Amino acid sequence: MMARRRSHRRNRLVRAVVAYTALIALLGFFLFPLLWILGLSFKTRLQTFASPPLFIWTPTLHNYVAVLGTGAFQHAFMNSLLISAEAVLLSICVGVPAAYAFARFPFAGRGLLFMSLLVMRMLPPIAVLVPMYVLFSKLGLTETRVSVVLAYTTFSLPLVVWIMRGFFEELPRELEESAWVDGASRYAAFRFVVLPLVRPGLVAASILCLLLAWNDFIFAAVLTNDATRTLPVLMASYSGDVGVDWGSMTASCVLVVLPVLLFSFVAQRHLVAGLSSGAVKG
Amino acid sequence: MHNQGEPLGIFRRGLLQASLASGLAAGLGGRARAQGKPEKLVYVGDNGPWHDCLLHEVAPAFEKATGIKIDFTLLPIDALVARLKAELSSGEGGIDIVQWDASMAGWVSGHMQDHMKLIANAASRHPDFDWADFLPAVQKMATYGGKLSGIPYRVTTGILHYQKRLLEQAGFSKPPSNFAELLAAAQATTKQGLPNRYGLGFMGRQGPAMLGSFTPFLRSAGGRYYDPTTGEIFVNEPAAVDALQFYGDLMTKYQVVNPASLTWEFDGIIAGGQNDQFAMTVTLAPYGDLMNDPKVSKTGNAWAWSLMPGKDTISQTATYLAGWMIGVPTGTRNTDWAFDFVQMATSKKWMRRSIDLGNAPPRVSVLQDPGVLAEHPWAPVQGEALKTAVLDHRDPVWAAAQLPLRTAISQVLLGQRTAKQALAEVTQQWHRSFRLAGLKG
Amino acid sequence: MIPSSKVAPYGSVNTAGDPPEPIARPQVRPSIGDVRHAGAAAAHAWQPSKTIPRGVIDAAVIAVPPTTRFERWLDRAFVWLAVSPTALTMLLVFGLPLGFSLYLSAEGWSPDETLFGGRYAGLANYAALLTDPDFISSLILTLGYTAITVTAELLLGLGVALLLDLELPLIAFFRTTLIVPMMMTPIVAALCWKLLLDPDHGIVDYFIGHPIIWLGRPWPALISVGFVSVWQNAPFVCILTLAGLRSLPNEPREAAAIDGASVLQTFWHVTLPLLRPYLLVALLLRVIFEFRAFDNVYVMTGGGPANFTLLLSMYTYQASFVQFDLSLGAAASWVMLLIALIACLGFVALIGRRETR
Repeated sequence: MMARRRSHRRNRLVRAVVAYTALIALLGFFLFPLLWILGLSFKTRLQTFASPPLFIWTPTLHNYVAVLGTGAFQHAFMNSLLISAEAVLLSICVGVPAAYAFARFPFAGRGLLFMSLLVMRMLPPIAVLVPMYVLFSKLGLTETRVSVVLAYTTFSLPLVVWIMRGFFEELPRELEESAWVDGASRYAAFRFVVLPLVRPGLVAASILCLLLAWNDFIFAAVLTNDATRTLPVLMASYSGDVGVDWGSMTASCVLVVLPVLLFSFVAQRHLVAGLSSGAVKG
Repeated sequence: MHNQGEPLGIFRRGLLQASLASGLAAGLGGRARAQGKPEKLVYVGDNGPWHDCLLHEVAPAFEKATGIKIDFTLLPIDALVARLKAELSSGEGGIDIVQWDASMAGWVSGHMQDHMKLIANAASRHPDFDWADFLPAVQKMATYGGKLSGIPYRVTTGILHYQKRLLEQAGFSKPPSNFAELLAAAQATTKQGLPNRYGLGFMGRQGPAMLGSFTPFLRSAGGRYYDPTTGEIFVNEPAAVDALQFYGDLMTKYQVVNPASLTWEFDGIIAGGQNDQFAMTVTLAPYGDLMNDPKVSKTGNAWAWSLMPGKDTISQTATYLAGWMIGVPTGTRNTDWAFDFVQMATSKKWMRRSIDLGNAPPRVSVLQDPGVLAEHPWAPVQGEALKTAVLDHRDPVWAAAQLPLRTAISQVLLGQRTAKQALAEVTQQWHRSFRLAGLKG
Repeated sequence: MIPSSKVAPYGSVNTAGDPPEPIARPQVRPSIGDVRHAGAAAAHAWQPSKTIPRGVIDAAVIAVPPTTRFERWLDRAFVWLAVSPTALTMLLVFGLPLGFSLYLSAEGWSPDETLFGGRYAGLANYAALLTDPDFISSLILTLGYTAITVTAELLLGLGVALLLDLELPLIAFFRTTLIVPMMMTPIVAALCWKLLLDPDHGIVDYFIGHPIIWLGRPWPALISVGFVSVWQNAPFVCILTLAGLRSLPNEPREAAAIDGASVLQTFWHVTLPLLRPYLLVALLLRVIFEFRAFDNVYVMTGGGPANFTLLLSMYTYQASFVQFDLSLGAAASWVMLLIALIACLGFVALIGRRETR
């Protein structure tokens, strides 16, 4: 009996060691590139090109001064933040009621509309880039953030509808039915009974949309100008036809990843919680 | 690209700004305009970092003098093309100043004003503009279908950059003047520099830079691509085939080209030079500044410049001619103001300044300025190269013709195909696209 | 020891494809910590009693029946009011541009490449595409690339998720840090990797100890592009699968363990079938995204060397923005869209069938 318990404990120990070894190896795999970039951001151009690579050097803040000095980075950062937030807000406001309707009420054209949402999600951005630009320029939107925010709904709206429909479908009908019996309007039942229950889904959908919008390059490259330029476009501009400015590149990379890293601490929990509770539906 | 001595740079910048602002204000003050004064002018261009002079000096000076802000929209090159295409062909008047590349002439020039007329109209306002001061080849580059469609701002051509001391150590007192000497020098310097340094560096990544690396070899060997008016194809003729075969052999057979070249574009060739990866390369002339600056380059002060070697003699040397124009489109409502800015940016004074900020301005007076000769010793070589440089294709078919050519060069550099095979395929594809475009061929 | 034959019921039930009874996923879960508990508690079906009281109270508070005519009309029109903003947005950002793109795809090429009023060319652009050997090889390449990267992402993501599902000290730290690549801007990640893979001063070749021209040779370039995609997107699969694992009821797995099934048997016969809907969704999403992969190729190889990484979206991009042939580009994107559509309809049917069974 003792021996068995001991061997059991040893098994658990072995397992933990194996698990940690694997986890640490994975950590290296997923994070080492980022750590290396972090290191590069504190190197001068000559140190960057050192061969063999330098592992110990006198760090320089020059790159950060260069990136933050002109204000262009801060400006693009604000743009990215505003555009992503607006895109998420718009998609949530527009998409959530629709998702609810999709989940609960049969109406003419439901299948068709839902199918087109799925198609929209598959759309290669390149397919609509130029047409969209022409359209927005006819509407006089190209000078503003609105154009990019609208463009981002091509991917965030389907995502919101898709995820939220799954959540609504999993809620028992009795919830609203009892509210209706009590005399509540459909809107009231939706707003006060159903909506609070799908909060984890809202959070998960928002996080995913935020990521997609924050990370988009190609729409922003064509639809923004200097005033509305977002971070990925700014960063692409560090590699032009007179050489990649690796210093600015890596420094701004760190500055971009940092808030995302902080964000992911919060996001990870909500994503798992949200996605596990109903997002997964065809 | 922080090769500017900062304190001095700022000081000089301040002086220049002050002097220009006062001069311009005097010139512009009180003159009545046909057009109402806009709040801003929209400038659309690419995002190459050689815009520093325009962005940080000319535009502020212009704003100070006129009160008009220049609203720069600088995009990655492909986004620029998409933007210009959409905006110009939809006839919206959203752009006041267009920056266009020589290869875009075919479709851009139709949307641009006749700048000869603009120069004439503004002659009284800019008496010292001096159009004749622009290099003749560059004047031709900015003209399409008989219309001057913009004012040249940046001109680029390929010249031979070489590390003088390395060549001397290998027994070459002069830079190579023909292909055989180039090969010999490359072999000697490769042997001397391995494993880290090779004799040559190319821009070998399949992309827009690739042709810039190969074209000097083609032109100096007397090769041609095609005739855009008749659709006749020359790229499968022996001159072109031999040029590509030689170009590929340098990489595959003689192995005197740094294999990392396969990943290099403009940025790679600069970094490679700065990092002592090759003894010689044929690339854009202004890169000389970047590679030769000890502040950012391991090979600082090691470089010298010469013409691209000819196939048999130096007299056959020929490279390409490319560059950027800035001009006023027909759609704008602010022609006079926009052209004022264009003329200011391309004036003698500001072009002289721009060369210190990474530009390669096409004015003879700048290229012959003694200060320029001292600080940018590649400049006279570029001036010399421009005399025999052949204007790059810029007919509308060129865009489509480039893609198969890039693939072919890539295949030859990898040793997958001989030049003959690869160019035969190019010929076939060109026949097809020329047919689609309505050219014979 | 309990005879291993007792494992059989689970195995047979699950290979038959029936989702086990306690699949119901509880909805209201403030934190992961509760998931296990709730999952076990909700072993049967949804338990309304847990949440309804709150809903009823809320409903009682707001249960003011619609009185005026307008309010009644509003109530009847609720569905339309809910759906129409979505429909309108879709029409604006999707319907109109796509229609325009269809129009473009039927236009002939002209030297100045006007957007409107080009000559009508019918299906000529599509014919030109399908007879272009570069397009065909790009299509095949893209299908292969998608299959391999998605498979790798799923395997790696699933593996990592299984590890992260373990209850170990510090596991929360790993859960957070391992998903960081997924949060990175793809274009930035690709630029970073380009630097790491540099043959001269890149750290990868330094560790290998031998200069490999990763992005300049055909196979290494393709592998690098795919690798970076896997590196970046496996965490997404991981988080989705982890969500699935966390929501699974513990009972079947515990029962299997008690019955003496090995870890591997439990995984294969119990966990994996339960996880299937999550994996299918991950598969669907990743296929959609990999099929149109662009940023990596655009930054790292530009489609080369010798067209070896010329994925369809890069082909389309070149047609539209390098060749300036917007019509050909539009036709290529329509072909892409149709292929993606067919593939996804297949998946959706697959998922649907699983659910109705």
